[in-house]
Amino acid sequence: MQLERIDAYRWRVPRHGGMRTDGLIFADDGLIRDLEGDQAVQQVANVAHLPGIVGPAIAMPDIHWGYGFPIGGVAAFDEQEGVVSPGGVGYDINCGVRLLATPLDIGDVRPRLKQLVDALYRTIPSGVGASRSDVRLGRRDLERVLRDGARWVVAQGYGSDADLEAIEANGSLPGADPECVSDRAKERGGDQLGTVGSGNHFVEVGYVAERYDATVADRLGLAPGTVTVFIHSGSRGLGYQVCDDYLDTMLAAAGKYGIVLPDKQLCCAPIGSPEGKRYWGAMNAAANYAFANRQLMAHYARQALRTVFDDEAAARTRLVYDVCHNIAKHETHDVAGRPRRLCIHRKGATRAFPPGHAELAPQFRDLGQPVLIPGDMGRYSYVLVGTEGAYRETFGSSCHGAGRRMSRHKAKQLARSRNVPKELEEQGIVVRAATRATVDEEIPEAYKDVARVVDVVHAAGIGRKVAQIKPVGVVKG
Amino acid sequence: MTSYRFVPHTADIAVELRAQNERGLYQAGVDALRELLVGTATVAPAQERPIEPRGGDPTERLIHFLSDVLYLYDTGRFLPAGVSASGVYGEPFDPTRHEAQREVKAVTHHGAEVESDERGYRATIVFDV
Repeated sequence: MQLERIDAYRWRVPRHGGMRTDGLIFADDGLIRDLEGDQAVQQVANVAHLPGIVGPAIAMPDIHWGYGFPIGGVAAFDEQEGVVSPGGVGYDINCGVRLLATPLDIGDVRPRLKQLVDALYRTIPSGVGASRSDVRLGRRDLERVLRDGARWVVAQGYGSDADLEAIEANGSLPGADPECVSDRAKERGGDQLGTVGSGNHFVEVGYVAERYDATVADRLGLAPGTVTVFIHSGSRGLGYQVCDDYLDTMLAAAGKYGIVLPDKQLCCAPIGSPEGKRYWGAMNAAANYAFANRQLMAHYARQALRTVFDDEAAARTRLVYDVCHNIAKHETHDVAGRPRRLCIHRKGATRAFPPGHAELAPQFRDLGQPVLIPGDMGRYSYVLVGTEGAYRETFGSSCHGAGRRMSRHKAKQLARSRNVPKELEEQGIVVRAATRATVDEEIPEAYKDVARVVDVVHAAGIGRKVAQIKPVGVVKG
Repeated sequence: MTSYRFVPHTADIAVELRAQNERGLYQAGVDALRELLVGTATVAPAQERPIEPRGGDPTERLIHFLSDVLYLYDTGRFLPAGVSASGVYGEPFDPTRHEAQREVKAVTHHGAEVESDERGYRATIVFDV
């Protein structure tokens, strides 16, 4: 696949064959080299084949080989002529990250770190098909979760209105229609609310290690040494099943509407078609489930803080922000100098709206939207804010994480003769995991260095660095 | 004779299935999926669960079959041992004998294609994990 260098951080996949537009990849030389030998660049080109695409098919510096869309992909579609694609959102609908800032300093937490990580491990179920016996949603409550998202959880007493203000879309996306979610999906989601899952999902205790913009960091409650809790999870089995169900619908729809697909996983339907509308209703319902899931997990994280520290530690733990990174949304963007309604697909990419954007809550209006970029479990994570550059160039989007560079198989082989939790403990990081397999597959070396990914984002102007957070405790599934 | 072999894939898990016939691919897929779920632990064909055939071509039928096997595990902790005439044999997950390895989110359509030649049937399936 041909790649043309545009500048130090941008590469073009020139339009060819059935592509309707160019591809645009944000990466430096090293990150581009990491893509050799896999199909990620081809996947960028494949996305450019879809009808109604506006602007280039974009990939963030954490791009890696996915299925259908690459992970780290952003694509905008015209609301009238464009398509909506479950493969452009992913199986884990509204997989996302939230960051909590506690009132505690790392110096206070270190002596009780193991207790805190153990308490989080006990309080928030993780691992394969993790379920909660205390939160078993009946059909009516599940439908409320699907319709109202985090708002429903707060109404049950788990959190506050201040939490909702710090969630993308206030934790509740309009357009959710529980009727469009199959019984199978509802069955898979009934007892998984408030659980982490496995794979790359986690709950992580960290502290603010470095600050690049002290003013913004202070406004976000990220003083030097502040102890934080990152939560990374999504819509669990419910979302996986919604995607699976609608891939079938969309495969049939693509044939019906004469859409030529370079990869079946890109199957899609016109946004305004009956198939497109039903997927929209189901996808937003699953996204709301994910917001509710992370809200409930945050409640349990506060409970763990209460157990190990005190009521004040729990009560003064604030939500910094919560972002989706697998989602499609209707947004208005300037295209060729005029505002245009578009359907933005972000698959492994984060919304990064600039200062002044009307959709941001008042406390973020002059800062720009917080962008949360978790790294691997051994190094560091970052907090950024959205920029005008992102709004102009990437439909208000930024990267979402480090991005894998090594297959799980290879990572496992590498970890086989090692004791990874012990290695991390020697670095001051306590790990609790449901299975050894997950820890081995998630070794830090399996990921790109997130600092390099974030540096490309910062240098290219599609996000601005605010603070670095270092991990001290990790709960994996 | 059926076989499966994991092949490199950066983020997810790809497996190449081989068999003498279409039905054999289901068995190879079940064996691969079981290894992903619980490693090499023994799973007894003690009970049967029906699976309704779905899909208009061999590739879609294979993906749906494996998706349904995964659904049985995700909702009822039913581990697959082998393919039966009308579904799948297996037994419920037993924590004293089985160790869950990872969550498999889905059986994807990405690059999936059942092919056949004089040597038999072949398919590559990518599991989202």
